[in-house]
Amino acid sequence: MSSSSTASISQARKAVEQLKMEACMDRVKVSQAAADLLAYCEAHVREDPLIIPVPASENPFREKKFFCTIL
Amino acid sequence: MPCTWVMACAYAPSGCAIACGGLDNKCSVYPLTFDKNESMAAKKKSVAMHTNYLSACSFTNSDMQILTASGDGTCALWDVESGQLLQSFHGHGADVLCLDLAPSETGNTFVSGGCDKKSMVWDMRSGQCVQAFETHESDVNSVRYYPSGDAFASGSDDATCRLYDLRADREVAIYSKESIIFGASSVDFSLSGRLLFAGYNDYTINVWDVLKGARVSILFGHENRVSTLRVSPDGTAFCSGSWDHTLRVWA
Repeated sequence: MSSSSTASISQARKAVEQLKMEACMDRVKVSQAAADLLAYCEAHVREDPLIIPVPASENPFREKKFFCTIL
Repeated sequence: MPCTWVMACAYAPSGCAIACGGLDNKCSVYPLTFDKNESMAAKKKSVAMHTNYLSACSFTNSDMQILTASGDGTCALWDVESGQLLQSFHGHGADVLCLDLAPSETGNTFVSGGCDKKSMVWDMRSGQCVQAFETHESDVNSVRYYPSGDAFASGSDDATCRLYDLRADREVAIYSKESIIFGASSVDFSLSGRLLFAGYNDYTINVWDVLKGARVSILFGHENRVSTLRVSPDGTAFCSGSWDHTLRVWA
């Protein structure tokens, strides 16, 4: 009985320590964080071949026009 | 390469070795060799030992360290050469199913998701949990960092994917639809972070617009549940693996 209650007390202490640590964390406002995510997307969208398709000459997955034939 | 049921595998950054593990509770590293005379199994090195199955493993920035996640509820950082445990991460209340390392070279954090519905961000050096998020309603199957490293997405058995911002310390988006009732098993971002690809247990892959929160497209093709999904490093395509024994590359 007492061992399980001491175990849960120590668990509760750990949880309190963890929460104290987390409460001290500096938080950024969501409007700022979201704006940063947007900015990152905008900045990198050119490099993303899945959004801006690369010309067929460079795309390794393009439809193949010339097929190999067995001679 | 002989191994019992494999649940996780990873390439070393140099491409010279691979790590894998699963129900054998261990993570083993195999140095790769193209020499046909050498048997890969002979060079196998057991690096990690957990008390339950290995659910995920990943090399850190070097070939020398491996991070593992296990059904025993812990994550651990191991030295490959000596097999020594460098750091262990306790905090999940149930099996840890997935992990992902922060993208930057200087980053020292990783995120893990578990059956306790929580995603936790850890400091690799201190072993401390830095942030925890518990908004999913079921097991978190997959976590993946946003390319900038300031956010991460998670896919869960509750049929939603969610985006958490690390600096705001909260969930900022939910990707779900009433018509989607099967769990998401695996998520990954496109190169710019604009698209989120998620594989589901209803055999489909949904593509979400990260910023708008809306589904862009749904991809059919697999004949059984999609269990894993990864975008290629150059971003030109992504590959999905499924219980239908196939791997499909989508471009």
